[in-house]
Amino acid sequence: MKLVSLGVDHRTAPTTLREALAFDDPKRNQALEELAQSFPGCERVILSTCNRVELYLAADSEDTIPSAEALGDWLANFHNTPSEPMAGHLVSHHDEAVVGHLFRVAASLESLVLGEGQILGQVRDAYRAAADRKAVGPIFHALFQQALRVGKRVREETGMDQGKLSIASVAVDVARGVFDSFRDKTVLVIGAGKMADLTLQHLATLQPGQIVIVNRSQSRADEMARRWAGNTLPFDELDRALIQADLVVSTTAADQPIVDYNRYARLQRKHRGGRLALILDIAIPRDFDPRIGDLEQVLLYNVDDLRGQVEQNLKHRTSQVEPALAIIEDETASCLADIRHQRHAGALLRQLGDYGDSIASQELARFFASCPDLNESQRKAAELLVHRLKNQFLHQPRAALRSAATLANPELAPQPHAHPILTAVKHLFGLGEAKAGDRLDPSKPR
Amino acid sequence: MDGWLDGISRLTILCFAGTYALALASELVRLRGGSKAWWHLLPGLLIGIGWLVQAAYLANLAIQKRAVPLSSVFESLLLLGWVLAAAALWLELRTSRSRATLAGPLVLTLALAVVTVAGTLAPRAGTQPGSGSELAGWGMIHGMFQTLGAVGTSLAFAFAGMYLLQARRLKRKQAAPLKFPLPSLEQSDRWHKTAILATFPLLTAGLLTGVALVFAVQQRPGYLFRWSDPKIVSTLALWAVSLGLLIARYQPAWQGRRLMMLTVVAFGLLVFAVLGVGLILPTAHSGLAALPLPAQGAGAKP
Repeated sequence: MKLVSLGVDHRTAPTTLREALAFDDPKRNQALEELAQSFPGCERVILSTCNRVELYLAADSEDTIPSAEALGDWLANFHNTPSEPMAGHLVSHHDEAVVGHLFRVAASLESLVLGEGQILGQVRDAYRAAADRKAVGPIFHALFQQALRVGKRVREETGMDQGKLSIASVAVDVARGVFDSFRDKTVLVIGAGKMADLTLQHLATLQPGQIVIVNRSQSRADEMARRWAGNTLPFDELDRALIQADLVVSTTAADQPIVDYNRYARLQRKHRGGRLALILDIAIPRDFDPRIGDLEQVLLYNVDDLRGQVEQNLKHRTSQVEPALAIIEDETASCLADIRHQRHAGALLRQLGDYGDSIASQELARFFASCPDLNESQRKAAELLVHRLKNQFLHQPRAALRSAATLANPELAPQPHAHPILTAVKHLFGLGEAKAGDRLDPSKPR
Repeated sequence: MDGWLDGISRLTILCFAGTYALALASELVRLRGGSKAWWHLLPGLLIGIGWLVQAAYLANLAIQKRAVPLSSVFESLLLLGWVLAAAALWLELRTSRSRATLAGPLVLTLALAVVTVAGTLAPRAGTQPGSGSELAGWGMIHGMFQTLGAVGTSLAFAFAGMYLLQARRLKRKQAAPLKFPLPSLEQSDRWHKTAILATFPLLTAGLLTGVALVFAVQQRPGYLFRWSDPKIVSTLALWAVSLGLLIARYQPAWQGRRLMMLTVVAFGLLVFAVLGVGLILPTAHSGLAALPLPAQGAGAKP
């Protein structure tokens, strides 16, 4: 069994090169066909995302698998790109390293944003697209299904995908820590700039009951309100808006705080009835007096507070790289052992079938030679009888082999024939050393 | 009877207390990163098993005594622990694998603590369990209200604890824990409100039935009842704080941490009323519903 992967990613190649080498869906389908013509007998998968373009190939033997150079040339030809400039950016892996690399990719350890969730879906799409084009055989079926499982396991056991890494998404997490339901809440956005829009884009996922926009420029407020199905209030009615609001996002460019401590304290005590309020002051300079955060039932977060949480989350993800690598190392060894084991069991099954066929053919030939007067229907009946007998005799050994093939045992990796059932079948039927892809010559005497 | 209580009952207390402890341990493993699917099922399963064993134990106790097991602190605490375990089980089951919160484990800890304390108060051989009189039915009703009031106070305390921890994290601008986040402030507050609203009528009903019982028992010869009995005083104080909590719930100035701190005070009073009084101060009130037997001509216990 031979494996090779070749490609570029965000670390090895500039965006322009990644764009030049990228595959959209029609291109990927075409490439899978062309790869089959250029490298017959190979299983193939193409993974193409914003940050990486990778070709994965597998074959039974070394003669069939292409070299990384040949694959690089094919990639350049396919995209009509000169091969020299991209040569220095291409990274290849072979055999066991391909398995480890694919698992790291699926676990998002190779991603631009450590622990991001999209890559697992992208690996799944790449595998499915190849499977739909019949470009995947037993090696890649086993390998990619395992990669998807490993990606999931790493995320579950390390929590690497937990904790948001953008200020806007951390703001959503903070809001979820304060409020349980947003359908009965009012979100007030002060300011109508890009930051307000971006934050609102995230907060809209919470499906707030009402969105109110207050901005010095009424036209911009109206425009934003239309976009987010919200309402507007004039800037001089800010107090009214603050009284209504449960969640405030402030993003103005004012050079002085627009809400001082006494003003908000009065609103909170006299008009808000002690209701919980979350204020996300992401303006610089700040729009809300920081002392407002000391008020009971008021939580005030500024950009630094949110950025601090982003850093805590990033630190957590980074701390989980080592445990994730340990899982991948373990899974790589286990996966290779499984694939080898299954392939040897498969080869033995084929040997067993060939062995039965050769005996059946020989005996039928001998029988027909001794009875030359048999008509066509009698000959067919005799053939059917012999084949049914062969299948009956081999049914149980085949079932046992299939069952043994599904048993994963990494300890058997160095000696794939060591499984007792495989060894027993081999000895009982006098089969030789089975190599993956072996087929017996029926004419060869045993 | 004594042998039964001293032998089998102790064994079964260990059975369900141990199961709750295992459930809590599995929660801790889950908290530490156990992510296999069965780690998520195990705590709920163990709490469920423990709860059923405890239900069987209480049913057995009720059959033996032919009354709801509320005639001593031991029995009342067992019943309290059982209801708290049910609350923990409910909280455990209502959270999915992806949205598991710390609410279930916190209430389970409380249930385990209550059951453990009950275990230390289990009657030994030679002690006389409470038995019936013509007032025992009323005593049982009084005890039931008081116990259910105690359940409400305990749950309100658990929710207040969650609120305070979450409020502390948010005020300190700390990131949410990746596993077992606490419920949102709004959620804890809503649960707290429900617990408080349910607790006050129960404590009031317990208090009224208690007062009625006192008047009924006082007319019996030889019975000396003191309103200054520490058990009565602490129970009255608990009722007063519970009333205060109910009023404070609707006062804007009392919303948030102040209200939750008052709940902690209420729970402290509950612990004192149930456990502290018997240990520290002499009381004529032998249990939440125990009454002297008129047939024995019993007076107030020293």
